[in-house]
Amino acid sequence: MTITPPAARAVAVTKRFQRKTDFADRLAIRLGIASPPPAVHALDAVDLEVGKGEVVGLVGESGCGKSTLGRVIAGMLPPTSGHVEHDGKDIAQLRGKAARDMRLATQIIFQDPMSSLNPRKRVREIIGEAPRVHGLMPRGGTRKLVEDLLARVGLDPAMADRYPHQFSGGQRQRIGIARALAVNPDFLICDESIAALDVSIQAQVINLFMQLRAELGLTLLFISHDLSVVRHISDRVVIMYLGRVVEEASTDAIFDTPRHPYTEALLHEIPRLDRRARSFSPVKGEIPSPVNPPSGCHFHPRCPFAMEICATTRPPLLDVAAGHRAACHLNGGQGRLPLEIQNHTQD
Amino acid sequence: MTAPLLKVQGLKTWFDTPRGMVKSVDGVDLELRRGEILGLVGESGSGKSVTGFSLIGLVDPPGRVVDGRIEFNGEDLRTASPAGLRSLRGDRIAMIFQDPMMTLNPVLRIGTQMIETVRAHRNVSRAEARAKAVEALGKVGIPRPAERIDAYPHEFSGGMRQRVAIAIALLHEPDLIIADEPTTALDVTIQSQILAEVQKLAAEMGLGLIWISHDLGVVAALAQRVAVMYAGRIVERGTIDEVLDTPRHPYTAGLIGSTPMANVRGQPLRQIPGSAPPPLGRPEGCPFRPRCAHATDICRTEPQETLAGGHGWRCFHPLQDAAEVRT
Repeated sequence: MTITPPAARAVAVTKRFQRKTDFADRLAIRLGIASPPPAVHALDAVDLEVGKGEVVGLVGESGCGKSTLGRVIAGMLPPTSGHVEHDGKDIAQLRGKAARDMRLATQIIFQDPMSSLNPRKRVREIIGEAPRVHGLMPRGGTRKLVEDLLARVGLDPAMADRYPHQFSGGQRQRIGIARALAVNPDFLICDESIAALDVSIQAQVINLFMQLRAELGLTLLFISHDLSVVRHISDRVVIMYLGRVVEEASTDAIFDTPRHPYTEALLHEIPRLDRRARSFSPVKGEIPSPVNPPSGCHFHPRCPFAMEICATTRPPLLDVAAGHRAACHLNGGQGRLPLEIQNHTQD
Repeated sequence: MTAPLLKVQGLKTWFDTPRGMVKSVDGVDLELRRGEILGLVGESGSGKSVTGFSLIGLVDPPGRVVDGRIEFNGEDLRTASPAGLRSLRGDRIAMIFQDPMMTLNPVLRIGTQMIETVRAHRNVSRAEARAKAVEALGKVGIPRPAERIDAYPHEFSGGMRQRVAIAIALLHEPDLIIADEPTTALDVTIQSQILAEVQKLAAEMGLGLIWISHDLGVVAALAQRVAVMYAGRIVERGTIDEVLDTPRHPYTAGLIGSTPMANVRGQPLRQIPGSAPPPLGRPEGCPFRPRCAHATDICRTEPQETLAGGHGWRCFHPLQDAAEVRT
């Protein structure tokens, strides 16, 4: 076998969150005077693959489970069912050094650098702590490492003795990136890592990610609600809605020939500089609650093309073209949108 | 030519802090006609929100409007009495905030709050006020408004709450609405529902709207004119087409150029180097000077606005044509 396993693979991962019951609750439930607490269906049998060196964009609106999926893949949250593999190995089965190496090789960068950086530690300590604790560096070797990392993410190494509050938002995000890189990972999960930044700073950080990927050969799972950013940086795009993957394909295929009405709607709604004085034709309705998702296809109450089957049967994620999968009942599971919609997407 | 609904000249709002005078808004000129949507665009700290608050007299100490004229329907709001200003606010001028929970009281039913707002400005019965509130909720697309009026704010989703905030702003059919990033916290599909409603209502009611946003894409879709703010000043203003197609100020061009859509996929984005100056450490002269590729010695002096028709910019080295914009 010479096929290299993907950097990360989620297999039928389901994650439900449920409030813990105490003794009084359990008693009340047993006596039939209370019902069990409702479960939030964050992920519902999700499959995802991130190839080595690939940049995968994971897109969806709030509550779709994209951040939960990122955390499950990073090994920060155990799935309720299903499993996650890194380099072909089930991460739940790893023990000891192997488990530690897996965790170090996968790093996550969060949205808000202010709440993920300890405000009472100097940048030198924030970045140097992990390599020191894990013994990746000889004592005294972290000084040079920290300075190299700061330079790599575009910060002045002379600023290593400052505190996080002495930096701007964009600079703090760079510190978060430097901290993630300190343990020499090969897989980065970026969870809305640029959402809180100003436009001109966003561009700088996107460029930094692209540069790091090229220089270090990193694999990236780029979680974002911003399709225009995802389009720019990703090789492949996965679209999620209410805990399920509804479509995945290469970036060009997603943007040129979307096969799911939800993807189509998202593409149509991205604010763009060249779409001026336009009249909006938004999809109707709210994003349903993940506590009580609609039956069948989760999108059917908002879908302009919904048929009877959509309310009853979950559409499977099927191959509609090479490397292009969609979960939609339209046109016999091909997810092919009616012709007039296709024309309008392509302009 | 009708007189403008709102005319702002030389507006300065400063905050006297222990560390020095923070000049959040430092000489802003704006004009808005009835039925027009103006996008006020800038990054965080540019002073766009403080400009909005200043117009409606909601700047809290230590902030103070220190200079300038705010003419609304021909009347100077800066010399208006507190009582006079109070009767205008919520009636002729309304504001919508980014977080609708800033507008809504979490412990009151939305109906209670809306009826209160109506009766603060009009001498009508509760029943009439309620009817008016139901009508406003219907207008912004809230289903079953007659029932939903008795719900509490937490019973609405984020998008629906923002619709309620917009309905409250519309209660008295104001002449001017100042909207401060009202869709920034919302999901894309919900954002476009709100934008669709706002666009329709603005056209139907002929109201003037100032849409404060960091998102050029949203402003391009919604507004007729745009003003770009940087470090407390408007560096460029004009129609959407003028500003987005032929930006003259290097900052505007930089903002446009750094959006992913303006770049080739997979190539590095054109970026503006550096970051915005801190409010207490702004360079003298043109505040964009340290980040600008075109800056020379003359930029150490304050650039005045050059106006060509309705298109104005504050720059000594305005970009000349599209080719230059792309570099």
